[in-house]
Amino acid sequence: MFSTRRLVYLSLLLAMATALHLLEGLFPIPLPLPGVKLGLANIITLLALYLYDLRAGLTVAIARVFLGSLLGGTFLAPGFFLALTGAVISTLFMALLIKKTSCFSPVGISLAGAVGHNLGQLLMASLLLQNQAIFYYLPFLLLSSIPTGLVTGTLLQGLLTRLKEAGVFAELTRN
Amino acid sequence: MTRGDKLLIAAVLLCAFLGLLTIYRHFVISSDQRFPAQATITVEGKVLCTIDLDPAAGQELMQIAGRLGPATVEVADGKIRMREANCPEQICVKQSWIASPGSTIVCLPGEIIIHVDGPAPVDAVTR
Repeated sequence: MFSTRRLVYLSLLLAMATALHLLEGLFPIPLPLPGVKLGLANIITLLALYLYDLRAGLTVAIARVFLGSLLGGTFLAPGFFLALTGAVISTLFMALLIKKTSCFSPVGISLAGAVGHNLGQLLMASLLLQNQAIFYYLPFLLLSSIPTGLVTGTLLQGLLTRLKEAGVFAELTRN
Repeated sequence: MTRGDKLLIAAVLLCAFLGLLTIYRHFVISSDQRFPAQATITVEGKVLCTIDLDPAAGQELMQIAGRLGPATVEVADGKIRMREANCPEQICVKQSWIASPGSTIVCLPGEIIIHVDGPAPVDAVTR
């Protein structure tokens, strides 16, 4: 189903996601845990999932990683592959929960996305390093995914409420 | 936040703590099992014997025949030392106890080497 409106809005979402991706790369969280970040760009992926569908979410997530790494200078570096698998698996997780369950608010979905991102990252890291020992890092990432998932989820919830109040939601989804 | 969200948070926390517990058991307990360390005694170029440095075992004295006659090696509390040797300078005796992997007592005149096996621990790591 092709619509120019959808194309334009997805492009806007992609631009915002890329900007957040880059911004986050500039200001790492001062924690002794490598790979931990807020996942602000994930807000936009999740927004695309809420507004449209899995295809839109995957498009935004994958294109965001490509554009963000090209602009940030990490294209095809190890971090790029980690971000790519993380983003794809996280999007699949979130889409599944949105489609199949109704007991989660955006906060829970966002948390699940953060966990999915960690799993995807470590999966790719273990493939790249040819070493499964990297999964010992998983508990630390899981612990960190709780605050980061909660923060991004709360931000998204505020965003959704405001979009609905302003009537943008209906405007966006109208074909 | 809904009930489902809270359950999800609890589940993630549980998984994380179970994982941490597994890591703790895997690394901390297995590093305990790596003890006792072992010491190898070499005399005139040939391995004479390997001794467990078990911290729980009591004191043990061993007579060995070096190039300059008998020498006494003492093992106690997971440490090992040259107790007596009839070499002129007594360097091996004065070195006293060794226990950490990689450390060595050498008696050159007696051609006796006592070496604690295992990789030597690093002093520091710079990045």
